[in-house]
Amino acid sequence: MKARFNGLSVVKIFIYAFFGLFLIIPLLAVFLISFTNEPVNIIGTFTDPAVFSSTIDKLKAINLENYRQIFSNAGYLDSLKNSLSLALVVMVLVILICIPLAYGIARTNMPFKKTISALCTIPLIIPTFISAYAFIIMFGRAGWVTYFYEMLGGEGMLIDPYSMTGIILVQVFFFFPYALWPLVAAFKISDVTLEEASLNLGAKNWFTFIFVTFPLAIPGIISSALLIFTVSFSDFGTPIVLAPKDLNLMVVEAYREISGFFNWGGAAILTVIMIIVAALFFWLQHILTKGKNYGSVSGKPKQQKMVTNKVVTRSLSVYSFIIVLVPLLAMLSVLLQSVATTWGKDLLPSGYTLKHYQTIFSTSLGNIQNSIVLAIGALVLSVIIATFVSYFVVRQNSAKMDFMTSIPLVVPGIAFGIALIQTFNVAPLQLTGTAILLIIAYTIRRLPYMVRSTMGAMRAIKQDIEEAAINLGATPLTAAITVIGPLLLPGIAAGSVLVFITVIKETSISILLAPPEWAPMSLAIFQNILRAEYYSAAAMSVILVALVLVLQGLASYIGKKQRL
Amino acid sequence: MGSVIIENMTKQFGDFTALHNINLEIQEGEFFALLGPSGCGKTTTMRCIAGFEHPTSGKIKIGDKEVEKIPANRRNCGMVFQSYALFPHMNVFDNVAYSLNIKQLNASNPVKQLGIYARLLSKRLGRTPKDIQEKVMEILKYVELDQHAERLTSELSGGQQQRVALARALVMEPAVLLMDEPLSNLDQKLRHSMRNTIRTIQQDLGITTIFVTHDQEEAMSMADRVAVMDKGNIVQIGTPTELYSNPLTPFIADFVGTSNILDVEVVDHNQLNGLTTLKGDSFLLQSTNTIEKKQAKAVIRPEHIQVLPYDTAVNNEEVTVLEGIVVMSTYLGPTVRYDMKVGNQEMIVDTTYSSGTSIFEEGRKVKLSIEHGRVLLI
Ligand SMILES: Nc1ncnc2c1ncn2[C@@H]1O[C@H](COP(=O)(O)OP(=O)(O)O)[C@@H](O)[C@H]1O
Ligand SMILES: [Mg+2]
Repeated sequence: MKARFNGLSVVKIFIYAFFGLFLIIPLLAVFLISFTNEPVNIIGTFTDPAVFSSTIDKLKAINLENYRQIFSNAGYLDSLKNSLSLALVVMVLVILICIPLAYGIARTNMPFKKTISALCTIPLIIPTFISAYAFIIMFGRAGWVTYFYEMLGGEGMLIDPYSMTGIILVQVFFFFPYALWPLVAAFKISDVTLEEASLNLGAKNWFTFIFVTFPLAIPGIISSALLIFTVSFSDFGTPIVLAPKDLNLMVVEAYREISGFFNWGGAAILTVIMIIVAALFFWLQHILTKGKNYGSVSGKPKQQKMVTNKVVTRSLSVYSFIIVLVPLLAMLSVLLQSVATTWGKDLLPSGYTLKHYQTIFSTSLGNIQNSIVLAIGALVLSVIIATFVSYFVVRQNSAKMDFMTSIPLVVPGIAFGIALIQTFNVAPLQLTGTAILLIIAYTIRRLPYMVRSTMGAMRAIKQDIEEAAINLGATPLTAAITVIGPLLLPGIAAGSVLVFITVIKETSISILLAPPEWAPMSLAIFQNILRAEYYSAAAMSVILVALVLVLQGLASYIGKKQRL
Repeated sequence: MGSVIIENMTKQFGDFTALHNINLEIQEGEFFALLGPSGCGKTTTMRCIAGFEHPTSGKIKIGDKEVEKIPANRRNCGMVFQSYALFPHMNVFDNVAYSLNIKQLNASNPVKQLGIYARLLSKRLGRTPKDIQEKVMEILKYVELDQHAERLTSELSGGQQQRVALARALVMEPAVLLMDEPLSNLDQKLRHSMRNTIRTIQQDLGITTIFVTHDQEEAMSMADRVAVMDKGNIVQIGTPTELYSNPLTPFIADFVGTSNILDVEVVDHNQLNGLTTLKGDSFLLQSTNTIEKKQAKAVIRPEHIQVLPYDTAVNNEEVTVLEGIVVMSTYLGPTVRYDMKVGNQEMIVDTTYSSGTSIFEEGRKVKLSIEHGRVLLI
């Protein structure tokens, strides 16, 4: 079909322009600045001749000096090494922890399987900086675990939360569900006939597991591992709360360079490296899973024999409870702290009160409002953009648009924030410090999730429905508004809740870009933690998690209603 | 209103040529069927007319106007989709009213347009104008659906959905009505009654109609003229009777009705009595038709062969008599179909069955009598 110029092509151009301006140009700017070591005003270059000539001068002076410095600047090199080893250790630990858990869920009749599966979703609803803070309540100098530990005769802290170990533990216990469900899927598809053959040949159960079941699940395991690596490497919430002064991590280092020292070149180099590492691992994971549609490997699903051996299922069940207990206790600690009068180094608070919530509702109601307004703003923008993007991708096979809207998946939040600041802090488009830029940043960062949701709904709408509208006289744009839009509504609703939740949880972008008058809840909690106002931080965290829980409930309600 | 003329239309998808040099001339008010096996290019032809596909080369004229530059939404071709493609979020009334609302939308200024969009998206935001309401109800009454105007389309039976689709296409008073296998999703009984409904409506409104089908019975019983397609080519255009009695190729003979198609060699043509003598696999046959070729195909319709007891003496100059053996007999109600063997040649014979006559059992030797005039040569 020949491309014809119509309302839809205008929308398409608008979307490309939006992404170009707020994603591509900022990333390009960071890339340039990492070489020039000086601010480069890309947008100004095209509007202001003076800026143009200065940009040209800067570009002429480009050299690799800056990159050479990475290797001489011990700080940068250390931070890269530390971040990589953090991600590596977390990746290995998560996989080791998850294998028995996933096997238990996928292939055994272990007791309390449903409860355990449900508890495994807790970590996903909690922003990592709250998890990190919960670890302080537990393991800190005045934590109840520490109290316990000393009671049992230990000395000092069992684990210092303000350390690499602390960061690793938080990430392991709060990121493991990302790997768990893909692993469960991998164990489910393993070839049952092969396993039965092995058992028939007289092999023991454990032998079959090690030499048949496990090897078949290896692609799934590697892919989950790569995913965890990227998540851990890009995580900002945990390190910013727990990293001690002498521990350099890329995300923290980049944050300090931009917000503390205004060192543009340094921040840019760190950002570029972060993106490259994250993109590399994302790409590795992508090529590994490509063309592998789990679940359809051998056509129809086979009835799998579940392991019923009591010793095996009971020990797996106990083990699983221990794993999910950690995040559960962490959340309970935050909840207790939020209603405690004081909670010193003791097993329980000395008294209970609701005054922290009162304080919040009298002084910090604004933050809650801000979070909601910002989230709604991002949601509206995402809905509009995602609807059209999925239309172009599904109906017009626009691979370019598919690719462009997937880019945010590989850009760590902190990196994206830095890129935006460096692009929009000068005229002609001085947006840094405005709610607009904040909303746009949230939107772009979470758009891939929204697009996935609407794209699914779009695929379900048959092409001929749209053709019927056009045949009846509607222009493609009118057909999109009156027919496609209303039919997409369920997919849009599901995606919206997801966007809303992730925006409320968002840490890095909020901390970097939110101006004081627009501070959302996450920023307020973060500042409270920095100021050691732990009780208000706890109360606000509880409100945030409650809000997320309510929305999640709403989402599953919508999902259920759809299926009816 | 209009005629549809297609000149030298070719359509390629990449390297694959879906339509080879199609030429069609459809008269105003004509009921025209495109008939052919699945994958022969019927839908593609129709989509080119509707403007959803663009021919690689060639011309399409609707009502004497070239439509190449006219986008699909302004071609005014009412289309009934194979899947009906009803809007699932609208009730029957709104489905049918859609084109009228859009017409109003396209004729309004931007401010009014917003209002129309609003009422298209939610009923609470506005009311459908009187004239549109009346027109919609009128056509719904015409297809006997006025009682169901407020129903969701998913609550209707297949036949009712079909009529909604038809009403939705008709209400815009299209220049041409395009129907792509509209009956293929209905059960046998409904299909027969819908054939009549569609034909009656078409005659009533005198609307130029192009009807796509792979069912020869459908095409033959409904259409004024039929174009038979095969592998992207049009192989013959004619009235149903022309196609039946004068198929141009063995493909058509086989596709349009059932035929015995026999490989024969032309051995003699007698100028005096005008008979051509043909030599088949293990028999001789005579025909009043002539053909230039040496190797030809003789086409005999099953109902043009008469089955007689073996001991019958036939003294008729105008028939060929062959000896055959019954391989199988199938009782089809008013007719009995015999699978016969004449030497090594298989033949199908249909005889009318009336009570009292007996059916020749399997293995029985019989005589077959074929009129010379019924043996077509192609
Ligand atoms: N969009 C397309 N791209 C590639 N090939 C197509 C496309 N549409 C149709 N074809 C091919 O063109 C041929 C004719 O298709 P179609 O017109 O749908 O046949 P019919 O309707 O007679 O069954 C088929 O071989 C089909 O595979
Ligand atoms: Mg077709």
